[in-house]
Amino acid sequence: MSTGSYIRRFWQLYAMLLLPVSFFALFKYGPMYGVTIAFKDYNIFQGIWQSPWNGTETFREIFDMQTFKTALRNTFLLNFLDLAVSFPAPIILALMLNEVRQMRVKRVFQTVMYFPHFISWVIIGGLFLQIFATNSGIINQMLNHAGFQSIPFLSNKYWWLATYLVAGVWQSVGWGTIIYLAALTGINKELYEAAETDGAGRMKRMWHITLPGIRPTILMLLILAIGEMPRIGFERPFVLGNSMVSDFSEVLSTFVYKIGLQTGEFSIATAVGLFQSVIALVFLLGANTITRKFADQSIV
Amino acid sequence: MEVFDRGNAPAGLTVTDNAGTRYAQKNFGDPNNIKLEFVPVPRSQEVDKLNVLMASGNAPDIVFTYDEGVAHKYMQQGGLTDVGSLIDQYGPNLKSYLGADTLAYGLWDNKQLSIPAKRAFTGMTSYMIRQDWLDKLGLAVPATTEETYQALKGFKDKQLGGQGTIPLGLALHEDEYIPLVMGLIKESPTEEDYYTKMQRLGVHEYPILFDGHKDAIRTLNQWYNEGLISPDFGLDKDQKVRKEGVSTGKVGMYSEQASQSFEGGDSGEQATLAKNVPGGTVTPVDPFTNDAGKHVKELNPPTGAYLMIPKTSKAAAQAVQYLDWLVQSNNLFYYKFNGPEGTGYQMQDGIPVQIKQSDIKPENNVFNSSDMTIISNGLELGSTDLNIKYLEQSYDPSYTARADAAFKLSITDAQPIHYFPKPIDAESKYAQVLKGKYEELLVKSIMAKPADFDKTYDDLFKQYMASGGSEIQKEREAAYKAMKP
Repeated sequence: MSTGSYIRRFWQLYAMLLLPVSFFALFKYGPMYGVTIAFKDYNIFQGIWQSPWNGTETFREIFDMQTFKTALRNTFLLNFLDLAVSFPAPIILALMLNEVRQMRVKRVFQTVMYFPHFISWVIIGGLFLQIFATNSGIINQMLNHAGFQSIPFLSNKYWWLATYLVAGVWQSVGWGTIIYLAALTGINKELYEAAETDGAGRMKRMWHITLPGIRPTILMLLILAIGEMPRIGFERPFVLGNSMVSDFSEVLSTFVYKIGLQTGEFSIATAVGLFQSVIALVFLLGANTITRKFADQSIV
Repeated sequence: MEVFDRGNAPAGLTVTDNAGTRYAQKNFGDPNNIKLEFVPVPRSQEVDKLNVLMASGNAPDIVFTYDEGVAHKYMQQGGLTDVGSLIDQYGPNLKSYLGADTLAYGLWDNKQLSIPAKRAFTGMTSYMIRQDWLDKLGLAVPATTEETYQALKGFKDKQLGGQGTIPLGLALHEDEYIPLVMGLIKESPTEEDYYTKMQRLGVHEYPILFDGHKDAIRTLNQWYNEGLISPDFGLDKDQKVRKEGVSTGKVGMYSEQASQSFEGGDSGEQATLAKNVPGGTVTPVDPFTNDAGKHVKELNPPTGAYLMIPKTSKAAAQAVQYLDWLVQSNNLFYYKFNGPEGTGYQMQDGIPVQIKQSDIKPENNVFNSSDMTIISNGLELGSTDLNIKYLEQSYDPSYTARADAAFKLSITDAQPIHYFPKPIDAESKYAQVLKGKYEELLVKSIMAKPADFDKTYDDLFKQYMASGGSEIQKEREAAYKAMKP
């Protein structure tokens, strides 16, 4: 059947597509026009169109800024560590939950571990300050009473990295298990029974059945996570960060906040955003290609 | 005329139609054949909404913002009417009311592109010290830096607040660290120093280039290492921990917005302190002296909001006339005190005492009086003494004398901001980044081991200068030369 007659025959279905397509055109692609101000000397009174072009001047300016370079490095550093620590955490947790026999106990655990996901970072920041502050935090006060030195969880930049990662795992691990648990239910029960009959222990079953069963899910989430590397949420580094650890806590999102929103340099903020998006795309495609080559699996 | 909508209009009233708007229409609009229109802008989306109005050319004839960065952007990008000659022609009252100091904040390249609102009382911060602790040590209220140091050491040695006494409470907030650094700088700055060695980052000026700056920080480093300063001050960005320390009686001395300790009714700091610690009293103190014996400190800028007339406005002259009408003392008084005498306030000893909102009939209620008189920030009774007297009446009577002293200390030996005829570009650009750098320098240098102090300070100082500090310095030096040839 030719394309034309195909469309004629199923025109109702295509008509249904119109709404979502126009949504994307209007609200996702339309505003991309605004990205042009990254290449302009944007003047709010002249508007986007009238403002004079300035080529790559804005980009040259941000690459000259020391603070931008630090922020860029930190963004990759924090995200890489996050990937190394926070990415495997929900997988391990999901595997463990999967082995819990008592349905009721499993449910309770799951629910309790979801909770932190719903707490705002601002509140978590307050909690962490109370708990981990160098001299007045609960943990350090206990350490002091026991005769140990205080540990600068929030004020030494290396300790701060650990605190930052722990906070991330604590907040997101429960929520992250949802997708894996869903994938686990899709594994054929007969495989386990067969393995058990063949004498495979719990660890063997986990390694040879459960993990391969959720491998596609893991790889897909990994590709997405790598694609997100150049981006970073605003709240976590902003709330947990402080001036003693700004060597590590200044990231691109906080940089854009300071430059774009507080200082009103719209062109610079847009240029940074565009830069992040381009790098993110490169990462995503790169990760995609690699997994396709070695694991014969891809999302694009 | 733009007006903030804070969503707090009493039932049946709106920000665009109430006793205040009708008063303006009747007394200004009707005689001049002008139909006044008030355009509401939600307070929380002030800047977003204003940007849209300005960009689309639909802005009201008078717009305003508290955000200096936004105002400077508008000035720089040429979207505003130069009102200099209009003020000369139509605004004699406006001109005399605001005065040259305040008007200077609206200049851009010697053009009056904005009409800054006037802040009548510019006192910024004052220090408080525990009177009962001083009594226990047998000390008088300290009057010099050395006496203050002895008092702080005494607080520490005697552990007057129990275990974990904090002689000098500090938070990483400009209201607290700027007075501290300014107070500890030994040299007496000249006028030129103020112009070329200060850097204005946001609202306040930072004395980073003063010769005595490093030694001031060194003193703080020494005090920190002697255990005199809040141990985790670098983490206390919103003053919460410091305030808690005061209320629970752990802190001996601290700075704050003038007389803030006495505010907040039963949950104010002095009130909670007295509840927690029997006899716990704080009293105002001016603790630091420089080589000339002066208590140098900063003032708030004599301005608040920036009022602007967009280029697209066709009624610029009438807009200036309206503001001129608004600042005439009877009209200003009408708005500040919620209507005419009798319905809005009662006079007592030459001071207007406001009538409770709930006792005012809706048809007389100017509930958004401060937003209607955005041209005048805070109160304005014509003189500093009257202003202070008026401020005091809102305090518990037992606090009045101390609140009064705190207000007076906040303007003793205080320096106004030295403002150039044109804002410093590099400051608009780097202010936020540099403020972060400065705080980093402050925290790390103060918390360093004394042996590492020089290296830490010098490294961070270099970083500060490289992140835009030297650009500001150059621009300020050039601007100063241009101004004083």
